[in-house]
Amino acid sequence: METSITNNNPHPVEQADRIQTVDMIRGFALLGILLMNIIGFGINWDMWSNILHGPKNTWDYYSFAAIESFFDGTMRGLFSMLFGAGMILFTLNKKDMPGGPTVTEYYYRRLLWLVVFGLFNAFILLWFGDILYFYGLCGMVLFVFRKTNPKWLLVLGLVCMSVTMLKQQLGWNEVTDKRKAYVEAVKLEKEKKILTPEQAGAKAEWQEFEKRIVPDTAFTNRNLRKMRSGYSTIYSYWIPQNVDGEVWGLYHQLIWDGLTMMFIGMALFGWGFFSNRLSGSTYAIWLLIGYGIGIPIGWYAFKNGLQAEVTNLNYYVDRYPVNHQMLYDVRRILLSVGHASLLMMIYRSKLVPWLMKALSNVGQMAFTNYLMQSIICTWFFYGYGFGYYNKLAFHQLYYVVFVVWIFQIIFSAIWMRYFRFGPFEWLWRSLTYWKKQPMKR
Amino acid sequence: MPNLSAEPGQGTTVLYAIEPDTGTPRIFSLDVLRGIALLGILLISIWDFGGLSSNEQTRIRLYEKGADHIVLVGLQFLFEGKMRALFALVFGAGMVLYLNKPNRLTFPATSELYIRRQLWLMAFGLVNAFVLLWPGDMLFQYGVMGILLFPFFRMSKKGLLIAAMVCTLIYCGKSFWNYADDKTAYKKFKAVTLVEARIKKDSAARHNKDSLSGISKAALKASDSVAKKTDTLTKEQQKDKSAWEGLAKMQRYDSTRAMDTAEMKAMRLGYGKVWSHLLQRSQAKEAMWLYRTGIWDIASMMLLGMALLGYGFFNAQFSKSKYILLAVAGILGGLLLAWYRLHYGTVKMLDYEKYITGNSIPPNQFFAVERLLLVTGYASLVMLLLRTVLLQWVWKALAAAGRMAFSNYLLQSVVCTLFFYGYGFGYFGRLSQLELYFFVAELWLVQLVFSVLWFRYYNYGPVEWLWRWLTYGKRFPNNKKPL
Repeated sequence: METSITNNNPHPVEQADRIQTVDMIRGFALLGILLMNIIGFGINWDMWSNILHGPKNTWDYYSFAAIESFFDGTMRGLFSMLFGAGMILFTLNKKDMPGGPTVTEYYYRRLLWLVVFGLFNAFILLWFGDILYFYGLCGMVLFVFRKTNPKWLLVLGLVCMSVTMLKQQLGWNEVTDKRKAYVEAVKLEKEKKILTPEQAGAKAEWQEFEKRIVPDTAFTNRNLRKMRSGYSTIYSYWIPQNVDGEVWGLYHQLIWDGLTMMFIGMALFGWGFFSNRLSGSTYAIWLLIGYGIGIPIGWYAFKNGLQAEVTNLNYYVDRYPVNHQMLYDVRRILLSVGHASLLMMIYRSKLVPWLMKALSNVGQMAFTNYLMQSIICTWFFYGYGFGYYNKLAFHQLYYVVFVVWIFQIIFSAIWMRYFRFGPFEWLWRSLTYWKKQPMKR
Repeated sequence: MPNLSAEPGQGTTVLYAIEPDTGTPRIFSLDVLRGIALLGILLISIWDFGGLSSNEQTRIRLYEKGADHIVLVGLQFLFEGKMRALFALVFGAGMVLYLNKPNRLTFPATSELYIRRQLWLMAFGLVNAFVLLWPGDMLFQYGVMGILLFPFFRMSKKGLLIAAMVCTLIYCGKSFWNYADDKTAYKKFKAVTLVEARIKKDSAARHNKDSLSGISKAALKASDSVAKKTDTLTKEQQKDKSAWEGLAKMQRYDSTRAMDTAEMKAMRLGYGKVWSHLLQRSQAKEAMWLYRTGIWDIASMMLLGMALLGYGFFNAQFSKSKYILLAVAGILGGLLLAWYRLHYGTVKMLDYEKYITGNSIPPNQFFAVERLLLVTGYASLVMLLLRTVLLQWVWKALAAAGRMAFSNYLLQSVVCTLFFYGYGFGYFGRLSQLELYFFVAELWLVQLVFSVLWFRYYNYGPVEWLWRWLTYGKRFPNNKKPL
């Protein structure tokens, strides 16, 4: 561990122990997460289909393409990587006190509180895209791997990635099978043969599936109506969907999504990647590899994958036995590493030290800033606030993002001048240690 | 924490035995209770293993008289949900015992070992559910809950007791909210039936009017079909209608047994087919059930077990009269609530519509309290019996089964799936209820004898031994050293 151990008792990380580059990248990822989340906060889902079916020379299309191919999943990925790294920092910096609660206990208390904060974010602040809940639970698995060799951590990350890929492929096989059965049934019908009940069922099933990719007007209208209503309506509207996400989203997908990036993040941290311990040329190489491969894959998967699938489903299903989503994790690992390398290089070049400092302030209170994004965006978009839900064009959402960024950067800079922790960090720490923590500098 | 090496009370000479190589204190009563819970669980899980469907249970409960009826209702009365609860109770106590082991220099810290142990338990649970194909597996959920409750193990015994009560109350609340959802579904259904009645009336009136006005029959038919289009329920209304109808139907006995037949057909196929048939059920148990019910179901009992250990309940540190009081009050109170649940459950089965219009709470409203009381009562009764010199060999055999409960639990899965599922002997749904309990009795006997014999030669049950190996990352010898 590179940080000096100033105090052996379990206690919150002191200023001197913090690694500035880790905070900086976390700040960057935190701000970047809003690029994706703003879509969920602010706009109806039919926007996907509308933009992809619409003209290709609009700002909406450009921004959508850029977001989907260059950012989607990468900021969450980077955030997860740093969550893994943070786990190592939290546990290995401290030594057990004889007789008192162990570091392990503090760690699990902390995560249990994180789960509670996640429930708060999802069910009280009504942000259905909450990730704190999932991070809390994933973190409970990570703990036993905190001393594992980085090489093996990388392997573990790749194993988790393979699970996602396997599930992806199995799901896609079902779709292609459905399509094949449909094509078969239609062919028989053309030959004037009578379909068996199974064949007729298969035909109907595909037709049903086809409909699902086209926005359902009744459904989107209902969504609009609900999202522009008061708190209690949105609350009961979101409960089943939150539950679904926290149960099935976690079980089928997010546990692997999170663990993949967390393990890789732990490995990278072990190699010194996030703590500025590698040479400048190493970062340059990883920037080249990350962006050099990641961006083309991202564009290809967007153009030939997502866009083709949404605009011409039948052609897409017949053409590709493997869905482009298969590239999702590969792409986002590369891009996340690329983003981080770029940041490290800017940091080392000392070109914009004020910006790096600003990001690291944001990162030091990432938890507060994350919850603040929920508070600001729900109030701006939802019916019980300003009700801007679906009133902005897609590209206009990014004006909001920009304003929130500026606000968070300034707020964090001012806050960190006077206080040691962000307000929610302070609350979280106080709850974890079950003792009011000092707040003022 | 009570001092475990303190002077044992009267009649408790067999209460303490130090494990040879870890120094984990074993509490005899916990082993006995675990053994009872382990065997008792089979009383209920045999329904799912052996294919005694809930539809068939409804039939036996409503329309059968005699032994079949008495056995089923008796089991639901005395054991359903209670054996699972007892298992969790003992698990909670075991958790604290494990975590209070001092760290040892050559091994990872106890808390670290504990977490690893829980993660491996989850892995074993996945094997039990997805390889042995037992969708009723609880190991996965216990692994998860063991981790979630880990931060609480240092809480005071009073705090733990309060936490157990809070979880029990939340569990009761869940029962109530689920019922409230049903009520809402019923209200929506009623509203739709009113709309439907009006539509019927309107179209009848229109028809009357039209037929009196002397239009030709063909024209009448045409105008009718146009009018009918506006006269049907919307998609949403149809959904509301069928939602309640589905709920009500689920309660009733289905004499066609359509579901039972389909289930039997599927379960008597080969491994791959059974695997895909059970996949979603197992996943739902591990994900949705755990999230909505399991957390409170398991946590309330684990926390109670942790608290009772702190109070010295399992170390025979209560006075005899206190155990008697707990046993009598727990069992009587619990059975009263169990009677309430079963009595109104039957009313609900006969006519859910009538039940839901007349009752503000569901039959299982107090299920969580019933479990809490009965489990406390049963455990106190066992503690009392252990003080006597009666039946020592029975307790020893039960303790042996309890000491290797993990192995025995998985053994139940292996034996039952191979006996009942299609890729084994395929007895699924082919045995009557009484025959199923002959099977249970045989399996109990096998497990008791096997456990007793096993501990003559080995220190740990086979799976327990493997579990330790995985947890420590180091193989320990299992053979007993010759004396």
